[in-house]
Amino acid sequence: MRGPDAGEYVVRFSFWARFQHASVILLFGVLLLTGMPQKWPYVEASRWVIEHLGGVVAVRWLHRAAGIAFSLLLVAHLAVAIGGALAGRTKPSMLLSVKDFRDAVDFLRYCLGWAEAPPRFGRYDYRQKFEYWGLVFGGVVMALTGFVLFFPITVSRLLPAELIPAAKVMHSYEALLAFLIILVWHLFAVLLSPEVFPLDTSIFTGKIRKDRLRHEHPLEYDELSGRE
Amino acid sequence: MKGWAALAQVLLVGLLAGVAPAQKPPDKGPEKLPESVAACLACHDDTQLSVKLKDGSTMRLHVDPQEFVRSVHGAQLVCTDCHARYEQNHPSGATFASRRAYAIASYETCKKCHFDTYTRTLESVHYELLKSGLDAAPVCTDCHGAHTIQNPHEKRAMVSRSCATCHGDVYRRYAASVHGKALEEGGNQDVPACADCHTHHQIQPPGSTQFRLGSPQICIRCHGDARLMAKYGISATVAQTYLADFHGVTASLTRGASVAPQQVVVTCIDCHGVHDITSPRLRGAEAMKASVAAACARCHAGASPAFPAAWLSHWEPSLRHAPLVFLVQLFYKIFIPFVVIGLVLQVLLHLYRVSLGR
Repeated sequence: MRGPDAGEYVVRFSFWARFQHASVILLFGVLLLTGMPQKWPYVEASRWVIEHLGGVVAVRWLHRAAGIAFSLLLVAHLAVAIGGALAGRTKPSMLLSVKDFRDAVDFLRYCLGWAEAPPRFGRYDYRQKFEYWGLVFGGVVMALTGFVLFFPITVSRLLPAELIPAAKVMHSYEALLAFLIILVWHLFAVLLSPEVFPLDTSIFTGKIRKDRLRHEHPLEYDELSGRE
Repeated sequence: MKGWAALAQVLLVGLLAGVAPAQKPPDKGPEKLPESVAACLACHDDTQLSVKLKDGSTMRLHVDPQEFVRSVHGAQLVCTDCHARYEQNHPSGATFASRRAYAIASYETCKKCHFDTYTRTLESVHYELLKSGLDAAPVCTDCHGAHTIQNPHEKRAMVSRSCATCHGDVYRRYAASVHGKALEEGGNQDVPACADCHTHHQIQPPGSTQFRLGSPQICIRCHGDARLMAKYGISATVAQTYLADFHGVTASLTRGASVAPQQVVVTCIDCHGVHDITSPRLRGAEAMKASVAAACARCHAGASPAFPAAWLSHWEPSLRHAPLVFLVQLFYKIFIPFVVIGLVLQVLLHLYRVSLGR
């Protein structure tokens, strides 16, 4: 894998992107820690966590505070992304295209040995894009259902009250889905995947080794090299 | 539970009889009173026998031999087992200030045999009151009687009526409730009598937060028992639907936690009442809705009449009850395994390809 570019780095992530990622790690962690014991309150470990965080009322306030922060981050993210793309300052490189679905099929064919080489990915491969949109849609679902549960009285004045238990079920299952996707998909991709093992540090340092970029995001590499 | 206790009792008695047959009390029929009892009754079988106490009142000293013989102790005890302090030549005059003072001074004689029960009463609210100087607080004989003691497990209504001596208002409300009516009118042995919820001897103040938080467990003892509930056509899921819901979780997590509860936690009694519980079926859906709405509004300021629909009324979500909740649940129950299994398969395929070498 070592080529002429070994040891050279290019900037991959802005400070804003790294800040958002670090914030999501923190907030997602707090939300899981305070949310899962509420989902499974009759498990001994849940009682232990709740006891040590100061009781169920404190845990619920901590959860709401982290939820508000997460919602604000989500709004800020969408505002910056949409605003930046409209102003032409950033490229909307997370947008899905037909190529991403083709890439998904091609990558599976490659895994099965039916294709010689993996598909050539751009700045973000289809897995990263799917995960990104999962996070955005999941985040919107969690924020909306979370606020329904936060303000049930207000919601029941405006909408049918059955939305409240429905929101509770949705909030609970969507969280479980997000947790499982992060566990089997994201953590594999950034920790255990043979390309990055033991840890893909680019989202923390903001940099990626040139040879890795060429290997994992060849279309972006070509574009960068062409421009240079 | 009562069945098991009775069975255990029978087995225990059988076992004791087996290992220690010599201790079995000799069979004493009503016609064959022991000599020592007969000696006391020579005077105390007189219905006119009485003594004047220091407060000027008269205490009757008559004991009905037939009543004593029919009591649980009739075949076991003789007079001096309890009245140990009396010499042959008593009385020596009025030694007690009042009838009540005599009862309070004498009741501890029960602990000679019933020591475990006695120690439990020491932790009760009644003993706290007695200790604080309230003479009216009940002692053993006030609930069980003295010479006429019956088996309290067989005479549940009788024990409850003894509570009514002081707690008349509460008892009248209980007697009119679905539980009280069944006990009082039909002799139903499944419904709770006073002691089933408040315990027998270690009675705690029911206004306390811990009692409130623990109260669902009291209801669940019967209402979570599917076989018992089937007998009356009542759903046994009421307990788990409450425990799975927001308030049930709060109550369970607050109970026994080291952090004191910072707010009132809704339990069964807030919608169903306490002593005046009536059947929701008899009250009708409209009355129950109104009761739930009133209960919500007590804590949730501004809760509209539509708000109680946020509570599924103990129904498990289904297409008929709460279809939206049911469909959301169904969607995720299919979608989550679909996504996760798909992702795991892709990870495995990826690793498979790597293992082949590039």
